[in-house]
Amino acid sequence: MTPGVAEAQTQTKAQTGTTGRPDQLGCSGRPVVLSTHALTKQFGSLRAVDGLDMDVCAGDVFGFLGPNGAGKTTVIRLVLGLIHPTSGHAEVCGHRVPGELQGALRHVAGFVDDPTFYPLMSARRNLRLLGSMTGPVSEERIDEVLEIAGLLERAESRVGGFSHGMKQRLGIAQALLHSPELIVLDEPTSGLDPRGMKDVRELIRDLGAAGTTVFLSSHLLHEVEQVCTRAVILNKGRVVVQGKVSELRPQNDAVKVLTDDQDKAAETLRAQFGAAGVSDDEGFIIVKADEDGVPEMVRRLVADGLAVRAVVPAPEQGLEDFFLELTSDEDAKPAVESRRRGIARVLGRRR
Amino acid sequence: MSSLPESAVPMAPGAHTDAAHGSTAPRMRGHAWGPLRREWIKLLFQRRTYLIWGGAAVIPFLISLAIHFSHDQGGGGGGGPAFLDKVLGNGMYVPLASLAVLIPFMLPLAAAMVGGYMIAGEAELGTLRIILLRPVRRGAMLLTKWAAAMLYLAFGAVVLFASGLLFGWLFFGLHPMVTLSGSTVSIAHGLGLTLLVYLFGLAAMSTMVSLALLCSVVTDSSLTALIVTVVIYIAINIVIAFSYFAWLRPWVFPYYYSEFLNFFRDPIYWRPIVKGIENFAAWSVGLTVAAYIMFRRKDVLS
Repeated sequence: MTPGVAEAQTQTKAQTGTTGRPDQLGCSGRPVVLSTHALTKQFGSLRAVDGLDMDVCAGDVFGFLGPNGAGKTTVIRLVLGLIHPTSGHAEVCGHRVPGELQGALRHVAGFVDDPTFYPLMSARRNLRLLGSMTGPVSEERIDEVLEIAGLLERAESRVGGFSHGMKQRLGIAQALLHSPELIVLDEPTSGLDPRGMKDVRELIRDLGAAGTTVFLSSHLLHEVEQVCTRAVILNKGRVVVQGKVSELRPQNDAVKVLTDDQDKAAETLRAQFGAAGVSDDEGFIIVKADEDGVPEMVRRLVADGLAVRAVVPAPEQGLEDFFLELTSDEDAKPAVESRRRGIARVLGRRR
Repeated sequence: MSSLPESAVPMAPGAHTDAAHGSTAPRMRGHAWGPLRREWIKLLFQRRTYLIWGGAAVIPFLISLAIHFSHDQGGGGGGGPAFLDKVLGNGMYVPLASLAVLIPFMLPLAAAMVGGYMIAGEAELGTLRIILLRPVRRGAMLLTKWAAAMLYLAFGAVVLFASGLLFGWLFFGLHPMVTLSGSTVSIAHGLGLTLLVYLFGLAAMSTMVSLALLCSVVTDSSLTALIVTVVIYIAINIVIAFSYFAWLRPWVFPYYYSEFLNFFRDPIYWRPIVKGIENFAAWSVGLTVAAYIMFRRKDVLS
């Protein structure tokens, strides 16, 4: 684990009180519209969600990140009352789930997994039917959400003939029907072409700007980086880290140094920054030094008679790398290695 | 996809005055027929619905045709289900004979099909998770689905009755009916008795709908729900066919399915009819309550 990851996790632990709840100061005084409290779901021997605590603040575009099988969809199902928790509970717009599910669902809309509709009905009829389950919905509003979703021209077409991407758009349209306070979207850009993805992301940003809280489950890290204000990274049913997206990425204070004598330079730098702050990377020395430390570092190198040829910022660790480090399965590595060796043996025999 | 249009942006979350969403929005005021209407619309948007109703329209025609030509070739009704042998002389018996032909298997099958689809079919389609994200109570949804299934069967019964009467009239003419006791009743009286028989048949089918609904809650496949329901129904019929299990007969619903014959006794033999209806009600309520309990706790993973 890199120092950056360790710092980020430490930051999370520091925010976490004795009860394990994150500090709600992250909401900056805004109300919490969705929270989970030691939410746990066990399927037989599998603990899909393990004591999950998280808060989504009003107005957040909240990213819910995690690798496949991390428990993202299970959490969404728990929060929306589709499945029952083994222990713990969620609170949605002030309503406890389970217990006050109907009250909660009056404030929420969205979809879980792929949005599905009645295939022989038109898009408009589907919206009319689903919308009427929540409350009266006018034809004008249906037109409006269809226009937002870019489906107005296909309003009278049967949904059975829609592509996956069009169903995703219709899923978003049905979520918007009653202007809910919280919209839960489970991988809404899956199956969309790049243009469609861009449109959906823009729409999500617009919703956030209009004051709607969006809970966006995704495994696309750049999507979360582009769209979300706060995020949680989930792995094996547990929160690995949560906070503002801008703060999730580990702080990058490293520089790459190139001198005429790298060994001597490394010795000098270790004396200044300690062994942990200095590492080697393809001929460069990587030094963890902030802006204030760099001039002093150069002075010392020059004072030691070294010719400093280059000092450049080290490349930032992307959220993707960070995510992979956080969610890497250490336990699985021996099994993967063993599988690789097995495959190599089989291929060797064939040759 | 366009960005939020001007008209949409100002609408703050929950700002729809009539909407059920949002903290400022009122709860959905009770439109008792709304949920039933929705389920009815869903049924109308399924092809199988029209297949079953089409079958209900065709069967009286086939019965009339078969008996008409059997007579031309010197054959007769040849026994079989109740009232079949009486059709030849009087078209008034066609709706009755049609029901008598269908009630042992085809009607229970149709009831199992529609009941079995109600939850499992939605789960299969993936729409169960999208409708359960709306603020509807699972219990109310289940009861509405039960009612919609019964309405579907009732409409099928109307089609069967009307078609039977039409083809009975066309092939054999409509005449006063002779009861099983030998007395003669007018056409109007006969129609009234036939209507009661159909109502009894519907009450009988409520048990199958409830059983299928229970199976539908347990599984996520409508075909599995249908098969399990039919297997249970056949198993009960086989078991009570043996004299060893005669003690069981008064307690199981298929035993009473043929009690509709007692409407055509003079006077009507009410005792077994009432016992049958009591049995149907008990099973229907019991199975639906069981379905409710299971559905309430069901984890929707489809």
